Amino acid sequence: MVDAQKLTEAERDALREIANIGAGHAATALSQMTGRKIMIDVPEVSVKRLEEAAEQMGPADTIVAAVLMHMMGDLTGRTLLVLPEASARSLCGILLRNSEPGPGFSEMQKSTIMETGNILCSAYLNALSDFMGMMLVPSVPALVADLASAVLTTAYLNFGHSRDHVICVDTAFRIAGSDDKVSGQFILMPDVASLTAIFDAIHLVK
Amino acid sequence: MTDVAPRVTVRVSESIVTEAPATLVAIALGSCVAIVLHDPATRIGGMAHVLLPSQSMGRIAAPGRYAQTAVPALIERMIARGARVPSIVARLVGGASMFMTLTPPGTIQMGERNVLAAREALHRHGIRLVGEAVGGDFGRTAEFDLDSGVVTISSYLRGIQRL
Repeated sequence: MVDAQKLTEAERDALREIANIGAGHAATALSQMTGRKIMIDVPEVSVKRLEEAAEQMGPADTIVAAVLMHMMGDLTGRTLLVLPEASARSLCGILLRNSEPGPGFSEMQKSTIMETGNILCSAYLNALSDFMGMMLVPSVPALVADLASAVLTTAYLNFGHSRDHVICVDTAFRIAGSDDKVSGQFILMPDVASLTAIFDAIHLVK
Repeated sequence: MTDVAPRVTVRVSESIVTEAPATLVAIALGSCVAIVLHDPATRIGGMAHVLLPSQSMGRIAAPGRYAQTAVPALIERMIARGARVPSIVARLVGGASMFMTLTPPGTIQMGERNVLAAREALHRHGIRLVGEAVGGDFGRTAEFDLDSGVVTISSYLRGIQRL
């Protein structure tokens, strides 16, 4: 089994590459949904203690909307779409063509965010599935809008197999050249056991 | 007043013991639990921001990380400062269950397990539990004023609660 804390540079590169493919497809889907140009950053691979991971979205009490889905099939893990509150609201504004000021999200907005998460994470997984020749099945999505640290810690802790470290492949994205300020992150959290399967599938030479 | 009293954030896995005037804060508790102990007589108190029920579930050794080890660690340091066990009271905050729909049916959520483990550890050490704001499906921030012993809990869109 791969030791998550001792990933080689080649292994990190491989994870960055698959994240780039996945996030690229998700960004294309988002672009088609919104009619806007989407920029994605270079994916970042991190193996962090759970306690550090809680603060990766900025201050612990930032409000975020997060859509979590299980990844099942040949690989297991989870995918998470995280949007800061203002971005989630802007995105709803674009997709629903109306703006509701909040605080909080209406049922219609929640449904919109959850469906967006579903579409983007499915696009992400589809791309990985095609690239690696694997069967990947997403679960139904679940949405939580709450304090960032509470959301992330729970997402990592409640469903992951490791209670100490979490492997995250983060890709930040944003809508480019527009007044609508939307930015967020796709996070892929493969279970440690699935890392080996990923590296084997892409014939990574050790 | 306590305007100048130090305000200390207790981060995940940390446990901090101090005395009035001071405020201990645990920000954004999800399935984590803040275990708050207070001795009203000496106004010595402590807070632990625990992630897991027991040490058997993790390899990282930090007493504040696990409910089972955080309680004795807090008590020991409070006694060292002059607190007395019979007058120590406890309050628990957190232990929420978020993303409920993705949890396999029949499993107990980590938040719930953390609360159960914290209650059990308090009982084992003879500490009286005087207040709880636990469970539910939302995050909480807990602020503990060591002068009064009051814990103020704030949540997104749910207002303020005092314990």
